[in-house]
Order: sequence, then structure tokens, then C-alpha cells
Amino acid sequence: MTDQEDALTRMIAVLKQPVDIGPDLTARVMAEVRQAPVPALDETATPERNWWRRRWTVRFGPLGALATAAGIAAIALASQRVGRRAGVESMERSATVARTPGPTQFVLVAKEAKAVSLVGDFNDWSLSATPLTRSDGNGVWWVTVPLVPGRYRFAYVVDGTVWRPDPEAPAAEDEFGRPNSVLTIGGS
Amino acid sequence: MTGENDALLLRRVLAGEPEIYAQLVDRYRDRLGRYALRMLGERADAEDVLQETFVRAYRSLARCDPERFGAWVFGILVNRCRTHAARRARTQARIVTNDAAMAGASVAHSEDRDAIRDAISWALEQLPTEQREAFLLKHVEDLSYDEMEVMTGARPSALRMRVLRAREGLRKLLAEAVRD
Repeated sequence: MTDQEDALTRMIAVLKQPVDIGPDLTARVMAEVRQAPVPALDETATPERNWWRRRWTVRFGPLGALATAAGIAAIALASQRVGRRAGVESMERSATVARTPGPTQFVLVAKEAKAVSLVGDFNDWSLSATPLTRSDGNGVWWVTVPLVPGRYRFAYVVDGTVWRPDPEAPAAEDEFGRPNSVLTIGGS
Repeated sequence: MTGENDALLLRRVLAGEPEIYAQLVDRYRDRLGRYALRMLGERADAEDVLQETFVRAYRSLARCDPERFGAWVFGILVNRCRTHAARRARTQARIVTNDAAMAGASVAHSEDRDAIRDAISWALEQLPTEQREAFLLKHVEDLSYDEMEVMTGARPSALRMRVLRAREGLRKLLAEAVRD
């Protein structure tokens, strides 16, 4: 066992040795960067798109009807009025696909979940970039994401491992065969 | 992986000086390259993923906390490596499934196994992607479990288990590689 531990320690030391990637990599990156648009400071912060001050309305359908047998369902929402998070009163059903640029609220009903994150083209499919917040008691998870016009693929990841598409959004599939959903934000 | 200089450079890029981005790439390419190389095994793959990571980071730069550029771009790399490894596993799944035992035996018992690096590369490659990722982040990149959680989206308890299993697996694999 001691020999095995020593081998592991030596292995870690080898793996920690520096790697020289070289300046060619920087040159290749910059060649692509020069073709890309200059990344602007958050474009939603311009006065006409000051989304966190704009008022929005949360609209979505009856939550009970959305729950699957597994207790998990999801809807993506276009939002246009501040201050109504994932409440359940006075809601009207809305299209799953948001039509309006700006803040888009994603809501997932997952009563048994301990953590939910939103992954998609807009966050490089990062499991950690866009966690959903749980509303007290009702198993509703939500997050609001500012989105510019475009077509996005997205999915929810429950408890870090369970990949869930949005049942009401058009379906897609990524290159690994995982089910995703498509969200289209219309142009202005 | 933080620093005022990163923040200043990043703000200059966002203020309209894209060429400054090269300094950020220079600053992180070797550190990130080491992870990509250890994770993917092949240098060409590692450089491709690294290039893709820096370009993606540039396009999303406005979303980066200027004080945390290093950790942020590392998070993108971890994600891209995972994606690349999954794609590769998918395309090679049939071969690996059919030839797993022979492939392991042939490498482990070949003349090359005497080279420590070959044995290490082979052993790492045998680990499931999630275990390899957790092991490298913990023991090579020296990240805390909290930092790893932010980077991978997995809970610390799950990450601890992956590291534990990776260590157990590597001990056995290394013993196998040097046995003969």
C-alpha cells in the first residue's frame, strides 16, 4: 500500500510539471479574436435596454399541469414586469418560446430537486454559471437571464446530473444525443 | 488566479483595445494548457480546446467579473474539456468497448510501460472522465472542493467521492503498470 501511495505521489509530481504551450497558441487565438466583434460592456446596460430597471410581467401556465410524473417540469418565459418572481397567482399561460428580447425567466418545477442549473449556448453549457433559485415551499425554481435576439439551445440540469429539456419548447439534441430545447428570441 | 492586473487588462479590452487580450492569453495559456493536456492526453487536442476556450471567453468577456478572469476562463476550459472528452468517448465508444481489455493490456505490458510518463498517461486515460477531472483539479491544480464545485457544478460530497475513487483506481493501475 505504501509503494502504491508513493507511486501516486510521484505521479502527481509529474503531472504538476509545467507545460509550455508556446506563443503560437496566442497568435492563433488573436487571429480569431480579430475577426470577432469587440466585446461590448454588457449591452443590456444601455439606457434603452436597462433590463433590471424595466418592469416586466411573469406569465406562465398552471403549475400543476406542468408537473411530470417525476415531479419535474419546465417552462421558459418571456418577462416584462419587475417584481413577480415565481408566484402562482393570476398567471396566464404564455408561449414557451419567448418572443421579446431582454430578460427571459426560466422556471422549473422540481419538488424533489436539491439544486438546479440552466445550461445553454448563452453560458457555454456551464453547470455553475446560471443556478436557479428555489421559491419557498412550492418546488418552483427560477432564474432570469437577459438574452439578445437569437436562437438558443438550452436544458436544465437537476442535482448536477439529471439533464432535463423543457417539455413545452421545441426539442433539439446535442452532439452527444442529450435532449435539449430551443428558445427563439425575436428581433426588435 | 486573481489580480488587479487581470482586471485592468480586461477593462482595457472591453474599452476597445482587443489586442490587449493577447496579454491575458499569454498569462494563462501554460497553466490552462497543462490542465487540458493532462485531461485530454493529446497535445493537439489540448491546444484545440485551449484555443476554443480563449476565443469563447473573449466573445463572452462582458459577462466576466474582471477580478476573477483566471477562474472564469478556467471554468470554461473545464467545460470544454469535458465536452471534448465526451465527444471523443462517443466516437470511440465501439472501439473502446470491444478492445478495452486488450488495449489496457497491450499498453501496460508493452516495452513503453517502463517510461513513467507513459504509465501515468495510460493510467489517467483509464479513469472515467469525471474522476480524471476531479483528480486533476484537486491534486494537480490544488483547488479546494468549494472552488471545484463552482467550476464543475458538482457538490463537494460528490467531488470527494470522485477523487477518492480516482486515487483508488490510479493506485491499482500504477501497480499494474509497473508489476512486470
